[in-house]
Amino acid sequence: MRRIKLLSLCAAFVGAMALTACTHVISQETSLPSSHPEALGEGRVDCSECHEDKIKGVLKPYASFSHTPVFVKNHRFYAGEDGRLCGVCHKPSFCTDCHANELEIKPSIRYGNRPDRELVHRGDYLTRHRIDGKIDPTSCFKCHGRTNNEQCVACHR
Amino acid sequence: MKHKLRLMTLAFASLPSLAAAADLGIDATSLIRLEERSVPGFKDENVVPATQFLGVDLDKLGDGNLSFHLHGWGRVDLAHRSTDEGTTDGDLSYAYLAYRFPKADGLIRLGRFYVYEGIAAEQLDGVSVRGDLAKGFTASLFGGAPVRLDITDRNKGDYVVGGRVGFRVPGILEIGASALREGNTDTGQTADLKNYRQLVGGDIWLAPFRMIEVRGHSSYNTATDGFAEHSYLVLFQPLKDLSISAEYNDYRLKDYFASTNLRSLFNPDKGETLRSYGGSVTYVIAKPVEVSADYKRINYHGDSHGNTHRYGGEVRLTLADRKVRAGVSYHRADSSRADVNSYHEVRGWGLYDATAYFASLDAIAHFYRQSIDTRSHDYEFVGSAGYRILPNLALSGDIAYGRNPRLDSELRGVVRLTWNFTSTSKGAAK
Repeated sequence: MRRIKLLSLCAAFVGAMALTACTHVISQETSLPSSHPEALGEGRVDCSECHEDKIKGVLKPYASFSHTPVFVKNHRFYAGEDGRLCGVCHKPSFCTDCHANELEIKPSIRYGNRPDRELVHRGDYLTRHRIDGKIDPTSCFKCHGRTNNEQCVACHR
Repeated sequence: MKHKLRLMTLAFASLPSLAAAADLGIDATSLIRLEERSVPGFKDENVVPATQFLGVDLDKLGDGNLSFHLHGWGRVDLAHRSTDEGTTDGDLSYAYLAYRFPKADGLIRLGRFYVYEGIAAEQLDGVSVRGDLAKGFTASLFGGAPVRLDITDRNKGDYVVGGRVGFRVPGILEIGASALREGNTDTGQTADLKNYRQLVGGDIWLAPFRMIEVRGHSSYNTATDGFAEHSYLVLFQPLKDLSISAEYNDYRLKDYFASTNLRSLFNPDKGETLRSYGGSVTYVIAKPVEVSADYKRINYHGDSHGNTHRYGGEVRLTLADRKVRAGVSYHRADSSRADVNSYHEVRGWGLYDATAYFASLDAIAHFYRQSIDTRSHDYEFVGSAGYRILPNLALSGDIAYGRNPRLDSELRGVVRLTWNFTSTSKGAAK
């Protein structure tokens, strides 16, 4: 009985120490909101229209995340470091519209009513992929190298 | 036993109250395509695939920090088969429980989800944890089973683990180190392949001055002992409306393609190096007019496919509080080798999105240097119109017509019903 009390006391002490360590080790900064507080119009957003300062949490200027053509083309760098910031305005399904293990419909057909969106493989890409694949196969590999290549296998066995 | 029974009863009894307290979001898109495919020398074929996309988000469960997210699709072919596979198909993109901590951007996920952390971009069934630490450090970990493709059983490994640690100096610097290991991958009939995929890498964001930013990452394949990728981007914004970028990419295909599950296509054994560099300029002439130009040079070290210039430009218009959007663009892929084709791409589009009605037009054409199957060009026109029956329920339809080297003509119709339901009015819809 005394041993159990001693163990309980030790466990409580270790727990208290761990909790104290955590409060020192873990940031006390408030988390990013789960969604943008105000509705945003469709189309590319310019964060710096309303915000001037650094974004709390990611500690980078708002202007860095304005959806310019360069941002849209290079969004992989942004997602790799600050994916949780993307999640404030976008559901994960926004990413899986294009980046999926198995894609049912070419994004430009699924969103035929959104020609303003930067969607890959518009028009007759089945013909064009033979050229683009030779020019730069690394651009294919990012999406089709290990995933979303069931249709590739139909010809490339 | 009685204690367990009591706990289970309590858990089941609390489910309705949990659900009642939750914010519910549903995104459903029903899509019916009607396609007539006319292949030279073959009988015309009609395909009518009906696809349902469904997303469910349950937020504010339990203590308010727990949420559940699901997204997937299913398809039934109503006429000829639309793919080389069966007449039905489907996929679960993600389904996971998430717990968001009020502080430190802490997040725990459990289930099927995607991970984007440093060099890792994985879909897995497993668990992930991330959070900000004191003194500018961040940490994330993930582990589970990689989600496999339908084509064969052995296209992914048995497990995948990884993580990233980062360090930030507010407004100036973020550096990260990440690693990934996928174990028991299929080596097929290639005896000298390692049965694992293992990458380590680093990423950086650096803003030494207000106008300049550097972003990029490098990855090293420890299974093949070589750098797989260096990709870096420099952004220079001397004026609010002018941004200039430069990029550099270096891939060693032996190391970059080593983990492919499609070796016949992505052949890593050639041992080539591919380097590309380029840049772009974007200028907002006046608030509604944005002009951009880009250039990229792609060089093979092995010269098996020659070198290519890619360049082009785009003008975008955004008017009437984004209700009217339009653009025209021209791009060129110009290969230096005669046996690799080159092409011009021309595109124009316009969109009008009013409260109740919306409509768009899109036209794209390609002109090839060498004819493909006796055709020197292809084109496609897409017209779309829709009506919002309710603010969150829209019915729209597209008609597309095109000609290309594969098909004499391609006529496609799409009927689309979109329903976005949310039970809360707090925060913007995603």
